[in-house]
Amino acid sequence: MRALIRLLTRIQNFATGSRGQKRLQEEIESHIAAQTEDFILAGFSPAEARRRARLKFGAVEAVREQYHSEEGLPLAENLLQDMRFAVRQLGRSPGFTIVAVLTLALGIGANASIFSLVNAILLGKLPVADPRMLVRLGDRNDCCIGYGVRDDGDYSVFSTDAWERLRENTPEFEELAAMQSGFESQPVVVRPGGSQIPAHSAIGEFVSGNYFRLFGLRPAIGRLFSRADNLVGAPATAVMSYETWKNDYAADPSVVGSTYYVNSRPVTVVGVAPQGFFGDRLSATPPDFYLPIASAPVLANASYVRDPTANWLYLVGRVRPEVSLPQLQAKLSGLLRQALAPVRTFASEPERSLLPKVHIVLTPGGAGIRSMDEQYSLELHLLMAISGLVLLIACASLANLLLVRGIGRQAEMSVRTALGATHARLVRQLFTESLLVAQLGGLAGIAVAYGGTRILLALAFPDARALPIHASPSPAVLAFATALSAAAGIFFAVAPALMAARTEPIDALRTGSKSVSGGATLLQHGLVVAQTTVSLVLLVAACLFVQSFNHLEHVDLNLDANNRYILHIDPQAAGYLPSRLGSLYQSIEQRFHAIPGVARVGISTNTPMELWNDSWTVQIQGRPNVHANASYVRINCDYFASVGTHLLFGRGIGPQDTPASTAVAVVNQAFVRQFFSPGENPVGRRFGAGPQHAGDYQIVGVVDNTVYTTVRHKNHPMYFLSLLQRPASDKSPIDEDYDLYARTIVLETGHPIANLESLTQRILASINPNLAIVKFEPFGSQIADQFGDERAIAQLTTFFGVLALLLAMTGLYGVTAYSVSRRTGEIGIRMALGAGRFDVVAMVMRGALIQTLLGLTLGLTCAFLCVRFVRALLYQVKGVDTTVILAAVLPLILAACLAALIPARRAAAIDPMRALRTE
Amino acid sequence: MVLKTLDVLGPLHGYGIARRIEQISGDLLSVNQGTLYPVLLRLEPEGAIASEWGPSENNRRARFYRLSRAGHKLLEAEKRDWEQTTAIIARFFKVKAEDLG
Repeated sequence: MRALIRLLTRIQNFATGSRGQKRLQEEIESHIAAQTEDFILAGFSPAEARRRARLKFGAVEAVREQYHSEEGLPLAENLLQDMRFAVRQLGRSPGFTIVAVLTLALGIGANASIFSLVNAILLGKLPVADPRMLVRLGDRNDCCIGYGVRDDGDYSVFSTDAWERLRENTPEFEELAAMQSGFESQPVVVRPGGSQIPAHSAIGEFVSGNYFRLFGLRPAIGRLFSRADNLVGAPATAVMSYETWKNDYAADPSVVGSTYYVNSRPVTVVGVAPQGFFGDRLSATPPDFYLPIASAPVLANASYVRDPTANWLYLVGRVRPEVSLPQLQAKLSGLLRQALAPVRTFASEPERSLLPKVHIVLTPGGAGIRSMDEQYSLELHLLMAISGLVLLIACASLANLLLVRGIGRQAEMSVRTALGATHARLVRQLFTESLLVAQLGGLAGIAVAYGGTRILLALAFPDARALPIHASPSPAVLAFATALSAAAGIFFAVAPALMAARTEPIDALRTGSKSVSGGATLLQHGLVVAQTTVSLVLLVAACLFVQSFNHLEHVDLNLDANNRYILHIDPQAAGYLPSRLGSLYQSIEQRFHAIPGVARVGISTNTPMELWNDSWTVQIQGRPNVHANASYVRINCDYFASVGTHLLFGRGIGPQDTPASTAVAVVNQAFVRQFFSPGENPVGRRFGAGPQHAGDYQIVGVVDNTVYTTVRHKNHPMYFLSLLQRPASDKSPIDEDYDLYARTIVLETGHPIANLESLTQRILASINPNLAIVKFEPFGSQIADQFGDERAIAQLTTFFGVLALLLAMTGLYGVTAYSVSRRTGEIGIRMALGAGRFDVVAMVMRGALIQTLLGLTLGLTCAFLCVRFVRALLYQVKGVDTTVILAAVLPLILAACLAALIPARRAAAIDPMRALRTE
Repeated sequence: MVLKTLDVLGPLHGYGIARRIEQISGDLLSVNQGTLYPVLLRLEPEGAIASEWGPSENNRRARFYRLSRAGHKLLEAEKRDWEQTTAIIARFFKVKAEDLG
């Protein structure tokens, strides 16, 4: 207790500048005065009395010092003093300060921005109550709707039946909620009832009734779901996300209770989810509406909801405290096997024998469904590594700059040592300076990080509408940046501090350099070599990614994107039954052709270069089954021309291919190569899905291999069918054939048309008010979107590579300049003895280039060894080839020459006489 | 010592305390007088002593220190501690080898 009071007093004294000092002074004076009087009374002369009084009192200064150190906080005071001194020192060399702070700001900022993403994507937790108690059932990001059997039996998506069985038999869970796995790719069309707002595409996620209770959330307004909302036959309800409520409906409270048409079916919005809640997973397109699973069959025509063979739900549960997870996992696996045993999928061999393998792996659910995690993990780790290396280079280069600065302060250090400053004191002073620079760099770095994160987010998620990752630095990011700058400060202060610790007072008395070989230390050269090595590795990485991106961009896609626009629609959401699609497609063709300037109107179920794929097994009539799949697209007459796919021979899909005529197909070259022998004429042959259907489609033509899905998937077999033709062997009612729904309209215009998007929106609305634009994009940007990640990685690695090069060269310059100035005397002597200016330049350059070459060799070795870590991210780049080496090495050598030439010229300009005189 | 002096003699100023300590110790303890004041200035904020201005014997303005209630308690505690310490030390000196046998 007393100790605490003492500390508080000390702090108070420190803060108030201690009044006690004055008191002490007064007391000392009055004491000495009294003592003097006593001595005078004892018979001494006044002068002698005063002298004796002082003598008797002892050393006044020592007492004051002692008191001061006892009553204040000497450490803090020294620190403050050091800080003040450091600020003055830095102010005296603004050039150095600016370079140092900028270097660090870039290094720390780059790291902090990458960390922002890492923090959000890899480390983030959902903004829900007690996320640690959440457990996810499954460890894979299988998506959407799966009907098959996993060979390894590891289940992560479940059928509605399986979920209900698991939920009812596990009291270990407080709640076990279910959520749609593939909502991002199945947008809904929403139209507010009784308003003029047109129907628009929105993201809806089907969730169980206990979804919000699982997360322990309270509504912003209204109410959230209860179990009653998810009962079959319950009135259709929806919960709106806070972002949507605020951005699209101006936070209007009357939203609650009003009717919205979701996929043209009336739904009552019962509440708004809390602010900041972005769903059960990090997504670039978080849900705008949460809808009960029970309403999915009506709203989304989702037959899979009640289908026990269809796995489409992710499950997340909140476990009760003290539940053993391994036991729970075993129990859940057993329950799942029971649930799946009677299901048709497992009715016969070989699937039946896979049933005992069926199991569930429990994973932490606090971060929700980690789909983005898996998607970006490799890229993020790569970027973390690269930015970390850049920071290391920055620190090394700052250490070198500080050493150079140290030359100028050699005399100062010696004098201070001679005056009694301990080495510890000098080292502390230098550390204070470095840490100050580091913290300034850190502060500037946070500003850089803010901008950097915005750029990163824009690069990584160009289409994001309401990305729940924010650029403004979170506390975690701030802490990271601060820790990083402190670490950096210590790191680059070590070398100069070591040098200061070796300072001998006698040095102050000597003048000039004392040794001929005394250039930069081994440590400094080591730093430069290390920097060069790392920056070469980064340059090689940059070249590899740029090369890979170039390959991607220059792939011949066999299409034409000029003046083409892709319009996504969803007739199913607009309420069309498959039997009514014929008239819809007809009116689309007519109305869009009526727009002046529109040359072609293609309608199809898929377009080139979008992440969508329908594929089916292929059986050629009269051939053995090769068990191979082909992708298929349903198209209208205009389609091939509208995307620029060339017909090679035969004919395309024509107006004669009506639902009533023979079902025909056009195949691509890869299809011919896969399923027919060379030289065989495919036209006229028949094929279908499986042996029973082998006569379904007659091939009438062959087209080019236009690239669908992604470039990495090029030259795969495809066939194209007429939009509405169904094979004769398909006897199911037409209204259950969801395959007939077109997804895209391709518009080819003769020239760019202004406000085409609003024009098309009006036309669609005039055909049917529930027909909305899901997405409108020029064909070119749809293609560019597919390269977004690759472009971002190529740009970022190039940026970091160039940054690393710049920093490494600053380091090289620093060390060379340092050696030159240390060797002024030596160079002077050499010149006096007859060395020419050229010899001097050559000597300095040789020193610098030896380090560079050493770094180059090491760097190339590292690059060759490390290339396998990034090979998965590269496209058609096998490894480090000559082009890459040249592209990385040449700029480095050039920059190194430049960095060394400046000090070399300075060395050559040394006047021998003056150099010798200063010796 | 400072506390005891104030306890015995009542309020005193700094010089007086220094003199008194010298006298009581019979000049055996030649404490550096300078060290007295830091002690006084430290005891005051701790509440053991209080100070006020007053005229000294020869009509100088001086700060008089007196023992506060907390100071009395502190003195008692210190006294007990000291007696305990001396008692223990004394016992060590009294002990003879055979006593331990």
